[in-house]
Amino acid sequence: MNRPHRLGLEGAALADKALRLRRHVVRMVAPIAEGYVGQGLGAADILAALYFNEMAFDPDDPGWEGRDRFILSPAHYGVGLFAALAERGALPVQELAQYGVDGSPLEIIASERLPGVEATCGSLGMGLSVGVGMALTLRRRASASRVYVLIGDGEMQEGETWEAVMSASAFKLSNICAIVDVNDMQVDGSTKSVMDMGNIAAKWRAFGWNTITLDGHDLDALLAAFAAARAHVEGPTVLLADTIPGRGVTALEGRKAHFAKLPPDVAAQALVELEG
Amino acid sequence: MSQVRAPITIANSGAVWRPGTPTDSKAYGRALLALAEADPRIVCLGADLTGPTETDLFRDRIPDRFFNIGIAEANLMCVASGMARSGDIPFVNTFGVFATRRSFDQVTLQIAYPRANVKLVGFMPGLTSPGGPTHQATDDIALMRALPGMVVVEPACATHVAPLLAQLVAHDGPAYMRIKRGDLPKLFTAESLPPLGKAQIVRPGRDGWIIASGVMVTLALEALDALAEQGIQAGLVNVTSPKPLDTDLVRSLAAEGKPLLVAENHSIVGGLGSAVAEVIAEAGIATRFARLGVDDVFAEGAGAPYLFQTYGLSPAAITRRFAALARPG
Repeated sequence: MNRPHRLGLEGAALADKALRLRRHVVRMVAPIAEGYVGQGLGAADILAALYFNEMAFDPDDPGWEGRDRFILSPAHYGVGLFAALAERGALPVQELAQYGVDGSPLEIIASERLPGVEATCGSLGMGLSVGVGMALTLRRRASASRVYVLIGDGEMQEGETWEAVMSASAFKLSNICAIVDVNDMQVDGSTKSVMDMGNIAAKWRAFGWNTITLDGHDLDALLAAFAAARAHVEGPTVLLADTIPGRGVTALEGRKAHFAKLPPDVAAQALVELEG
Repeated sequence: MSQVRAPITIANSGAVWRPGTPTDSKAYGRALLALAEADPRIVCLGADLTGPTETDLFRDRIPDRFFNIGIAEANLMCVASGMARSGDIPFVNTFGVFATRRSFDQVTLQIAYPRANVKLVGFMPGLTSPGGPTHQATDDIALMRALPGMVVVEPACATHVAPLLAQLVAHDGPAYMRIKRGDLPKLFTAESLPPLGKAQIVRPGRDGWIIASGVMVTLALEALDALAEQGIQAGLVNVTSPKPLDTDLVRSLAAEGKPLLVAENHSIVGGLGSAVAEVIAEAGIATRFARLGVDDVFAEGAGAPYLFQTYGLSPAAITRRFAALARPG
């Protein structure tokens, strides 16, 4: 994998990036005192593995044609994506202070007004479909670029998700990789309590996807899974990544709140904890 | 339920215009194929309606750029968006109801919002479908017109289809074209199609104007003859693009102070009639004005000639409405 603009960080260097993303997330949500801090912290390891190891991405040219695409289907996680884009150098870190500020392109629900955001999702169920379209065109053009789509586990309740899953498999798209953030959390409570989807790994397998279940906070496991996805040329791969909302901040870890409170004392304590 | 009715069949859903009108079939399918053969950016998508959307021609000639997504319109729209975001010009072919109502959120967020270069093609507009409310797109213009940046067009004539498609390809952004399935009348020359956003004056009027689009242009032409027999000389304007609307022309026609009747194969709510009314009202012009279309009701499954008669879209209905406007009281 000697592609240009691919960082390939591992081990302590990659772990440090994940930690830095978490600090950004806390700092961004703190002024608002509530928000998608649980999701941002929970997905930090996945985003770090993508942006600092796996994906080809040119921060000086976020629209570079040879880039790997990352689509954030639950755009509520924008706080995490913005942190990754800034830490990767696609926008100045001080711009993160504009998160959610009126007039800023760093909208709470991530929008493509910000370069580096590939599509405006957040009306759930659409991201994987957009990724399928990108993957079809990239393959037809014999591009080396890959498509990564993060979706939420609650999002699997949307029918369109399964339309997309079906089509990626039918088109044998091996250049697309879905990552499901399995945090067992949605607005009304635990995903299992709202609409239990049963054995989700069996469902993805039944639809023909190379299905890898892993700990979404294990950076080595994430890198190995992305490598396995690249090596699987018969069709699409999904990573079912078990995560803990609020991961890395004791006061928030495991709290299943879609829009969590982050009072100043908790934010301050979190930043101390995340100094690493 | 004791009333006996003739069975609904595709056969009795035929042409709504006067027998003998010259027609052409598969004008869309042939025009799309010709454009695609000259432009490798054009890809063709569908959702299990290949034959009915005339895209079998494309599938058979350019299979590597043809994608059948299956019966999954939400996915269809987003896949097209992903392709457009990667540099393709997707033509998305399905029935009008599915291209708009069925997938409105996807069209809104993944096509209109990013101004993706996707061309939506919706067949069976208005009452040209025998399929009842599930298949009759009587609100598609209203829905698409509400989307910022969405171009909305409908050819009145088979000859206009190819140049209209070329206009859509030249326009970098989303567009929705509604088009009657099957035969289309041959009314005008290809050169008579005005640029996007401009309307075509088909016949000048002394006693006011009928503003029509799509199949209603053919029916309005019949109405003009009937009106002439009553001594009323109505003009006719063919609006190929309800959005962008030729607002200059609408204002200048309204300023004549003569009757204006909009005739559309669509609900009177939110369609061409509404668009024209908005322009006239905001220009502060007081004139005699009426909207003829599906009058804020759902229709039912039946043949097109029956539906056009029953729901007041026939040449006779156009004639009656215009005559009433022209001779108030």
